[in-house]
Amino acid sequence: MKSVYRVLAYLIAAGVVLQMADIAYAWFGVLNEVDSGAVLDENFEGNAGHALHGILGMTLIPLLGLVLLIVSFFAKVPGGVKWAAVVFGVIVLQVLLAFVSFGVPVIGLLHGVNALVLLGVAAMAAQKANGAGLPMHGGARSSGTRVS
Amino acid sequence: MGVVAASALLGPLGWMWHASLVPDTYSVMEMGHAEFGGGPGGATAAHQHDHQHDHGSVAHVGGSQPVDLVSLAGPRGRPADVRETLVAREEQIRVASEHTVEGYTLNHDSPGPEIRAKRGQLVEVRLVNESVSDGVTLHWHGVHVPNAEDGVAGVTQDAVQVGQDYVYRFVADQTGTFWYHSHQDSHEQVPKGLFGALVVTPAEPSGPSDAVDVLAQVHTYDGRRTVNGRVGASRVPAEPGARARVRVINTDNGLMRTWVSGAPYRVVAVDGVDLNAPEPVRDTAFALPAGGRVDLELSVPTDGSAARVGLGGATALLLGPEDASAPPGAEPSASVDLLDYGSPAAVAFDPDEADRRFTYDIGRRPGFLDGRPGLWWTINGHTFPDLPMYVVSEHDVVRVRLENSSGEAHPMHLHGHHALVLSRNGRPVTGSPWWTDSLDIDDGDSYELAFVADNPGIWMFHCHDLPHAVEGLVTHLAYEDVAEPFVVGGPAGNRPE
Repeated sequence: MKSVYRVLAYLIAAGVVLQMADIAYAWFGVLNEVDSGAVLDENFEGNAGHALHGILGMTLIPLLGLVLLIVSFFAKVPGGVKWAAVVFGVIVLQVLLAFVSFGVPVIGLLHGVNALVLLGVAAMAAQKANGAGLPMHGGARSSGTRVS
Repeated sequence: MGVVAASALLGPLGWMWHASLVPDTYSVMEMGHAEFGGGPGGATAAHQHDHQHDHGSVAHVGGSQPVDLVSLAGPRGRPADVRETLVAREEQIRVASEHTVEGYTLNHDSPGPEIRAKRGQLVEVRLVNESVSDGVTLHWHGVHVPNAEDGVAGVTQDAVQVGQDYVYRFVADQTGTFWYHSHQDSHEQVPKGLFGALVVTPAEPSGPSDAVDVLAQVHTYDGRRTVNGRVGASRVPAEPGARARVRVINTDNGLMRTWVSGAPYRVVAVDGVDLNAPEPVRDTAFALPAGGRVDLELSVPTDGSAARVGLGGATALLLGPEDASAPPGAEPSASVDLLDYGSPAAVAFDPDEADRRFTYDIGRRPGFLDGRPGLWWTINGHTFPDLPMYVVSEHDVVRVRLENSSGEAHPMHLHGHHALVLSRNGRPVTGSPWWTDSLDIDDGDSYELAFVADNPGIWMFHCHDLPHAVEGLVTHLAYEDVAEPFVVGGPAGNRPE
């Protein structure tokens, strides 16, 4: 369970990196399209980069966050539930910031910063699950008990 | 304890997910909840009548013997004055010399053929589906056709499958600029070309016979903004001094601005209804909602230059002699506001004597739509399919308060009727009576509308930013005692959005 927790947390961190990459690809693609005569208006529904960003950000990463939180109840990772909850909360915040930003683009700055926060807390959660099998100073079990 | 915590988390989520699932096949009459707006019907409370019928089970609201929607059709049994056959195909559309897109055509063309009729003429259009695999229909946007001619798959007919045909018949009772488009999988088929224009002129010609009457069908194919199927500026031959009526149709999903450079112009009609005493404007644009139409009247400059009708980006019509120089056409920042444009005139009903008052409040919240997580549109706080159905009786005066706090603008389209705009954000209309079938509700705005329920049937009332309709911004105006024989889904695979 501990290694599942760790892998999920790393997957979320990797997802954040992929999101940074695909959104850069998306908007460079737009600039390229506009150069060749495309018009950017309400009819514009985005390119493959936007689609990927939407699917990862709206579905896959929140789902990973939810699974991480559920796994944390059983994984007996010290502080694991707390960090999984933080990761999930930061994901929810990230989605909300995105939707607020459509109306108030300046909030997009926070969406960008919060992405790095998510990368940080996901990596931190993964770190907590490192060293599975090593003796923890009063760690895994008591942490598990605290939660239950 | 981990199991308890996991259940506490997953239980409500799972329940919300399950509750959001929409059956593959359903009648729009079973969708959501009926609202009666303070009018009769509340007592009989939307009980569904299910009985066997040629088309299967039939649902309606009301207590009396229902009228079958199919019987609410245009005139049969007499020859039509205007006849057209439209053959729908899946094929490539050439947008610019170097750019083709996969799309849909009518008679090998997109936009499809322009249909012109004189007021009072009987129009007959035979739609043939040669190769559109998802099926097609034709909806007559802005025309008060009888309900069975409205062309909405799963609501007023079954989608026309490959190899089938369907005949639409209606009397063109309104003069003005309209358009037709598929209402099967419309968010896919309309952007990819399945549409055309319908123009109804007065029975007797009015104005000088040398006047120019030109369409400007604005459409974006795969990111390329076009007018009448061509990118960039298109020339329209016109004598210096000639009067011109430019019928702009926004066939896209978003608000577009149109303006005239090199000549003043008047906004003579909106959504196919003439305005009263419109004054000339200059350096001012008109903001045209998705699905909406505006007729601009101008005089071609007498100095031999062309007038330029800007349609967004580099797209424009140049009206003047061949090779006439045209002004550069920078987009003005000011916009015509129909709240105080033109002069007041009497209308045929009293909006203050309303029989029904409805609220159509658009919001947005996180949740599931047919099992998909996301932020979804709400109407009066509910997401699709738990939406209000607005129930009216024939001859009712109906008032609708449209509000939008969803964070995005919504071009709202009511089928089969025009509504009179009474006010925006509490400011009453002080100019010409403003009738609309496609009204853009900006985020944070509210509008009061009124109309007379004079066209029985089941009518869609939805957002014409067509992807928004797929995302659940669709509801219906249902007349009491009209039976709905069609279903969304079903063997015909009806998907109106």
